[in-house]
Amino acid sequence: MLLTRRNLMQTALTLGAMHAFPGLTWAQARPLVFATFTGSWEEAHKAVLVPAFRKATGNADMVLDPMLSVDQIAKVTAAKNNPPIDVMLHDPGPALQAVAQGLVEPYPVEKSAYYKDLIPAAQEPTGPAPFFQVVGLTYNPETVKTPPTSWADLWKPEFKGRVGITNLNSTLGTGFMVELAKMHGGSESNIDPAFKAIEALRPSLAAVAANPGQLATLFQQGQIDISPGNFNAIQILKARGVPVEFVAPKEGAIAFKTTIHIVKNSPNKELAFKLIEAALSPEVQATLMEEPYLIVPTNTKVAMKGEIAKALAKDHAEIASKFVFQDWAKINEQRAAWIERFNREIRV
Amino acid sequence: MAATTLRSVTTYDLKLAAPLALGFLVFFVTPLVILLALSFQADPQGSRYGLTQYVHFLADRFSLGVLGSTLWLGVKVTALTLLLGYPVAWLHQRAPGWGKGVIMLLVLLPLLTSVVVRTFAWVVILGRQGIINAALGGLGLIDAPLKLLYTDSGVVMALAQVQMPLMVLPLITALSRIDPNLADASSVLGAGHWRTFRKVTLPLSLPGIIAGCLLTYAAAITAFITQSLIGGGQMLFMPMYIYQQASTLQNWPFAAAISIIFLAAVLVVVSVFTVLGRLSRGYTNA
Repeated sequence: MLLTRRNLMQTALTLGAMHAFPGLTWAQARPLVFATFTGSWEEAHKAVLVPAFRKATGNADMVLDPMLSVDQIAKVTAAKNNPPIDVMLHDPGPALQAVAQGLVEPYPVEKSAYYKDLIPAAQEPTGPAPFFQVVGLTYNPETVKTPPTSWADLWKPEFKGRVGITNLNSTLGTGFMVELAKMHGGSESNIDPAFKAIEALRPSLAAVAANPGQLATLFQQGQIDISPGNFNAIQILKARGVPVEFVAPKEGAIAFKTTIHIVKNSPNKELAFKLIEAALSPEVQATLMEEPYLIVPTNTKVAMKGEIAKALAKDHAEIASKFVFQDWAKINEQRAAWIERFNREIRV
Repeated sequence: MAATTLRSVTTYDLKLAAPLALGFLVFFVTPLVILLALSFQADPQGSRYGLTQYVHFLADRFSLGVLGSTLWLGVKVTALTLLLGYPVAWLHQRAPGWGKGVIMLLVLLPLLTSVVVRTFAWVVILGRQGIINAALGGLGLIDAPLKLLYTDSGVVMALAQVQMPLMVLPLITALSRIDPNLADASSVLGAGHWRTFRKVTLPLSLPGIIAGCLLTYAAAITAFITQSLIGGGQMLFMPMYIYQQASTLQNWPFAAAISIIFLAAVLVVVSVFTVLGRLSRGYTNA
């Protein structure tokens, strides 16, 4: 092609005009931006959710911008009127923060085809939960011959110096503490018993990891033999050949709703809605439930199968009876104080 | 032609620095001012302004302890790096041409890999089934694996290795500027190797030592990745403390105040180094 000054100028002017007045182009101002989580979430969403969205919208332009919940909130807060993200994905704690700070558009429930099929716990008008994360006990089957059955097993003398936990920076760490409090007569608003229990656990602790990801490294290095762990993280480790197993303790595995939200003032609200609909659809959820993703579905039209049915729950009724959901609104009220207390008291 | 129209060839117009100055202003000074303003908010909503956050930090023994242990960590790492780095730089100075190349390559090699990778290597080295424990166990020197990962000494060791190039490179520069004849002159005048080193080489390399210490110190105390991967969740240093407050708790004002206090503390340490540097320059020129 010949590049003359004239047609270069023309192109530049046209592009400039299209940029200055996005309405001219009749299409999206910018691609739909979905801030998923990093790692296995990103892989799963790229492979399953994005193709489903493209199919539903006739190849609408979208990008995945994986980042942590807290970074999503920071980015949207910094530019509330013109947010760089259209769809956010959140753990329960950050989700409540985002809603409280007015960063979230209510989900158009009446328009949604799938919302009513979700299990009751997943029906959140501020943003439904397309997936669960499940926390139970993780152990090394080569060194731990009798599989643990209860959170209380962490205190067994044979695990002296072999137990790993994480600090309260993570959802996992905080949820685990709340569960300990409940076991010893406390609750979301009374964490004291959990701190006493951790104090008693101190001789057994081999490591307090800075985040759940570090627990994986510690298992690989043989630094710890047993810890609370995330079901999905363990499946990835297992697939890589690390000797780890997951069990749901008899008190019930802790379940976190991962909620998905339309960002307030998003220029792509309609597409954002379609992406979330795709995430709630039985087709996407059924595919994500299979190997290697193993993500727990929330749509009751999806029948539990495979590893999830075996290790966690065989149907949605069992989810309701076997999973423990925590009250994160209550947890958020005091979480800052707990983190500070953990900083001070838990020194190994 | 009149001499007055000739421009001086040794002074430059300050305007040449304008793009850099602008860059600094926009990307460095402005965020810093915002940070400072944020640190005076009494609560995360910014309804009141005051010194609340600073009082909260400075009146709290735990927070001061975190600051103290971070600054102390820097001292330990810097000392270890100097101890291990000086011989390397000295060897580089004495080595033949090809040896210099090899040593330089070895010093620079770590800079070519990411800090995360280098730190993960240390996780593998220090772990329970890591190289150190496996070697000691294999030699029959220990019965049970030593705890190295998630300990203070582990963090110091890993940081010293990770920051080593920052120490060795200024040292090499300083040592190579020393006239080799000086050492010969010293020995002709009857000084032994040790005395020559103490009285001639060491004082003349002081500017390099100070520059190296400054760089290593600043890098060690702010090394978020290495500190948290090797130190784990129960060893709290300032970078992690700031992250925790800003990210997990969304308490930006307190995080900003911690950052400003940390910055001030580091500036004090840096100015001590700078004063020492000025003194040493006077010393070497005397």
